[in-house]
Amino acid sequence: MANIAEQRIRREFKEVVKSDEVAACNIRVELVNDTYTHLRGEIMGPPDTPYEGGRFQLEIKIPETYPFNPPLVKFLTKIWHPNISSVTGAICLDILKDQWAAAMTLRTVLLSLQALLAAAEPDDPQDAVVAQQYKEHYEIFRRTALHWTSTFANGPKKDKDYDDKVTSLINMGFEEHKARVALSTNQWDLTRAAEYCLS
Amino acid sequence: MSQTDMKRQLSDPASDATDSEDMEEDDEYANYYYDNTDDLDIDKPKKTDDPEYFEYTILQTEDAERLLNEEVERLCSELKMSPSLAKMLLHVGQWQGEDIIERYQQDQRKLLTESNVSCPKEMKEDSLVGSSPGCPVCAECYPRDKFMGLTCGHLFCPHCWDMHFRFQIEQGITMGIECMGQKCKILVPEDFLYSVLKDSKLRDRFSKLCFMDLIKGHPKLRFCPGPNCSVIIHAKEPRAKKVECSVCKSTFCFRCGIEYHAPTDCDVIKKWLTKCADDSETANYISAHTKDCPSCHVCIEKSAGCNHMQCSKCKFDFCWMCLGDWKSHGSEYYECSRYKENPNIANESVLVQAREALKKYLFYFERWENHAKSLQLEEQTLQKITSRINVKVMENEGTWIDWQYLQNAAALLKKCRYTLQYTYPYAYYMDKGGRKQLFEYQQAQLEAEVENLSWKVERAEITHRGDLENQMDIAEKRRQTLLKDFLEV
Repeated sequence: MANIAEQRIRREFKEVVKSDEVAACNIRVELVNDTYTHLRGEIMGPPDTPYEGGRFQLEIKIPETYPFNPPLVKFLTKIWHPNISSVTGAICLDILKDQWAAAMTLRTVLLSLQALLAAAEPDDPQDAVVAQQYKEHYEIFRRTALHWTSTFANGPKKDKDYDDKVTSLINMGFEEHKARVALSTNQWDLTRAAEYCLS
Repeated sequence: MSQTDMKRQLSDPASDATDSEDMEEDDEYANYYYDNTDDLDIDKPKKTDDPEYFEYTILQTEDAERLLNEEVERLCSELKMSPSLAKMLLHVGQWQGEDIIERYQQDQRKLLTESNVSCPKEMKEDSLVGSSPGCPVCAECYPRDKFMGLTCGHLFCPHCWDMHFRFQIEQGITMGIECMGQKCKILVPEDFLYSVLKDSKLRDRFSKLCFMDLIKGHPKLRFCPGPNCSVIIHAKEPRAKKVECSVCKSTFCFRCGIEYHAPTDCDVIKKWLTKCADDSETANYISAHTKDCPSCHVCIEKSAGCNHMQCSKCKFDFCWMCLGDWKSHGSEYYECSRYKENPNIANESVLVQAREALKKYLFYFERWENHAKSLQLEEQTLQKITSRINVKVMENEGTWIDWQYLQNAAALLKKCRYTLQYTYPYAYYMDKGGRKQLFEYQQAQLEAEVENLSWKVERAEITHRGDLENQMDIAEKRRQTLLKDFLEV
């Protein structure tokens, strides 16, 4: 059983390495250990999205029953997206659950995740706070996602206004990530974010 | 009936079985006379007049398998297709054979595509490359002719198919196993699965799970919900009617499988039961068993089912539900079952409205709960009556047949109170208006007669037989009238 899983992953490595997407540096997979059960993936944020230019690291665990059951995938890089938990990085995507098919590969998973970044599904959310912001204040959502991309995924675009707000909360004595989460959750309202940090 | 009787005789030759059989026969006998007492004409009342009449048979596993196979064979011969394909079409099409034949004749390809049984041509693809290509799942190389697949053209090696089936069956999936292809929804037919899967244990498991899936998907079949009971109920029409399993004796509604609930329908009773479960905390305080006598204030515990109470100390007759004088509960004025809504409620504040809503719910819940308790107590009465009859028969005071009417009375009382209990959720969800008034009138009539019957059954030894039988007749008539008007058929 484990034999099939290992054999498959070996071949998939070749597939990903060969593929055009790697040539364009859009997706990448590397081994974490020698047993092919634990991998590290990376996808580039798709163009024309707030994730553009960011590099997102993924943890990929291969179950023994792979490829008859889906790989376990989550984001290691923090990301602000309706279908991805901003706390744990857990992903809500049908092909990683009941829509998985044995003929799918790591390449299809990574490309599907990239597609998910380009087209969120706020009606089937993993992170309710983000999804609500996406639906009710899209512009704030876009800027928040951009801010998170530049902070955690080496994104090229900075949002000076948001950076300043984080800094001012830090100056009030709050821890940086806590401050960022508080501001993101409270539509970047400083007073409410400060109260949120205290509660 | 005869079949199950035979089974019981075969399986249970002990003497207690003959005992219960005798009783059952007597029961039928008594019912026969009972049914005719009020009708002077010779015709027995027609079964179809009974609003609760429901035609069904009890099937053993083999009978049900035969029944399914017959339906499959009929479709096979009609449409000239393989049994496993026919089985899948029937399962997906909820066993509407005629409908499937019609749709097949209209547009064969459309039906097969919509049922995910076969694939439209344009989606077909043969992904294999080279003379010794690799399996898309395990990457192992095989000669081309080793590969297998369905009409969608996704080809995989037999070993991977085998593994796929193994994992799907382990997850309890049978009729819904799909092709392994990406985004491919084509279902795997049974003959294909059996041609690959060689493990006999798994094949057995598949066939068992598959059978359960098929029964669950068949609108006219239902597993008996009784504990450890494996029989299958086959109904002529899939309706929300009462089924009594002849094997384990449990009764339930055919459509939803929970306890029978006429005149309330399946959706409403589910809503009601969920509401009761959710609101049980608020409702708990009313479930106390004791109340004070409204006249002399002595504490009274309710020990039998009847709601017509008589204080053992001051002999005051009162109603357990409303604590009012029982005299005002003469059948014409019986209103204890009717909830009186505040007529000015729309103009009140939200708080008052919320309180009113809770009051209304509690009113119905209290009565629902009270009748449930009465039913339990009356079950004890029935047992007491049975043992009393036993004693009497042993002392040569008449035979079983002479005393049978008492048991019939207790059984009928149970039946009437059961229906009465289930009128409360129905009334709770009814819209205000003429129909609700009529319902509440009939409900009140039924309740009055049920309480009268209960009173007489509890005092059977001082009640004249004719009087009791008359009361039985009236109560059952009231029940039938209510069901005839309000049970959705």
